[in-house]
Amino acid sequence: MSTSASDGQLATGYELGKSIKAGSGKTLDRKNRLLFYNRTFKVICIFSAAFVCLILFSILFFMFQTGVLTFKEVSLTTFFFSTDWSPETDSFGALVFIFGTLALTFLTLLISVPFSIFIAVFLAEIAPKWLRNFLRPILDILVGIPSVVYGFLGLTMLIPLLRDVTGTNMGDGLLAAALVLTIMVLPTISRISDDSISAVPGKYREASYALGSTRFQTIFKVVIPAARSGIMYGVILGMARAIGETMAVVMVIGNTPQIADALFKPTSVLTSNIVMQIPNVPFDSTWNYALYMMGFILLVISLLMIIIVRLFQRKGANV
Amino acid sequence: MKWFKQLSIAAMAIALITTSSSVVGAASSLKGKIVINGSSALLPLTLQAANEFKKLNPKVKISASAAGSITGPQSVRKGIADIGAVDWDASQDVPGFKKFDGQVAHKVAIIPFAAVTNSNVKVDNLTTKQLQDIFSGKVTNWKDVGGSDADIIVVNRAFGSGTRVNFQMKALDGSEFMSKGSNYKEVKSSGDMKTAIETTPNAIGYIDLVYVTSKMKAMQINGVAPTEANIIKGTYKVWGYGYFMTKGKPDGATKAFIEYIQSTKFQNGSLKKLKFIPISAIK
Repeated sequence: MSTSASDGQLATGYELGKSIKAGSGKTLDRKNRLLFYNRTFKVICIFSAAFVCLILFSILFFMFQTGVLTFKEVSLTTFFFSTDWSPETDSFGALVFIFGTLALTFLTLLISVPFSIFIAVFLAEIAPKWLRNFLRPILDILVGIPSVVYGFLGLTMLIPLLRDVTGTNMGDGLLAAALVLTIMVLPTISRISDDSISAVPGKYREASYALGSTRFQTIFKVVIPAARSGIMYGVILGMARAIGETMAVVMVIGNTPQIADALFKPTSVLTSNIVMQIPNVPFDSTWNYALYMMGFILLVISLLMIIIVRLFQRKGANV
Repeated sequence: MKWFKQLSIAAMAIALITTSSSVVGAASSLKGKIVINGSSALLPLTLQAANEFKKLNPKVKISASAAGSITGPQSVRKGIADIGAVDWDASQDVPGFKKFDGQVAHKVAIIPFAAVTNSNVKVDNLTTKQLQDIFSGKVTNWKDVGGSDADIIVVNRAFGSGTRVNFQMKALDGSEFMSKGSNYKEVKSSGDMKTAIETTPNAIGYIDLVYVTSKMKAMQINGVAPTEANIIKGTYKVWGYGYFMTKGKPDGATKAFIEYIQSTKFQNGSLKKLKFIPISAIK
């Protein structure tokens, strides 16, 4: 709005609902002006939401578009069911990495979810206020540490420790990666669970105690089920972080294309294999397309997991 | 330690920009734009040379980046870059990589490599045959090559690494690496190799000589220690030339830049400071 318009507004007197002079000289009354603002705001919001969807689908589309070129040279069954990944001899079997990714995510959640829920219960129900106020920021800071730091600590401290404790030769493998990932997803899951447990109304607890429950029964039979959807949400976010994590995993997993049939066998997952090989592959090669296809599979796996957990969550809410 | 490398590269780039803009109106009238891509091992060398070259020729613009050896000649083929930096002669076939037709290789530096082990390993010397057996997985215990009774942990660089290509050609005479096994792992960069060798007992790997620290042991190969003096004498064979690839014969600014980096002044000055060996050192 130009200065002349506001001058005019001042000159005619300040009255709500009365027309004001716009910069162009055209008269707009307040109702239409507000309507215009509201509509514009709505359009901007819809556009932003559509833009996010567009980004997601274009990423999926372009990954697929490049990745699908793999199947000009490699058959679908070879790619998905062969464990022989040796690009230098044109063998592109990605089963090792798909299996590794699923196994690593599963193992990570197996260790981290119970731990996180215990931490959340402690923070929300048991810890005194001063301790709670001290621990929460610490967990928040843990989320912010770059993953490469976790990877480096895993490589220099965790792996030698695992080697000493178990007496194995190397220590690299699924367990080392799952432990590093657990430390990374722990704050995410526990903080979100903590928030949702804290949000459970106090009357639930009081009702439970009134019926004669112990504290243990109250927490595990009333509070946690009531906070289930929030805890699930935390698990989804933690899982998304675990499945896509690259820098920390690549440093401790061993990067060997073999099926992880033991906890301490060097293996490889989708993310670690992509980051190991992408700097050195020729642009227009089946190898390059296969790596894109693996990226696409990674996206699909994480989308599928999110959808499954969402369905599970909805079912839980209805009961 | 990749972040450290990137940080230092960024710092160099900033230094490069500030110094080049302060020098105005030097004698040279050479004009042009040079784009360099490829090997990360050669990047410090390229940046240093670009920095000095721009002081002499302020009208030449140079932009250098590194995305891995193989991207060098590929960028040149696609016309994205004028110079492709690579750790092997990409105009010839090497194990795993076909030659790039129509490209000319210019030697710019010598990069020495060493087979290294964790400092707990008792063995000091390995023959080519023993190295071949260890890296192909035929020999799996240190006692078979004169050490104590312990499993050998083999640490390898990923396929496509320039260091791997050079080590395979020079130290293993082109024989194949193992690719699976419970005592075998691959690492992403020289920094990761350094950490893995330093922290893993009984591990063996290989690395650029400049990365060798006191926490690891550089092996003698066939009784010859990996030193600069032995490389120059010609007794230690495990080293490789760093190359600049161009599409056909270079001209203009590109030619002048390659000549600058090959000049005695640069080779004996900045290049030595960066711990590479001058190409003129070996006849």
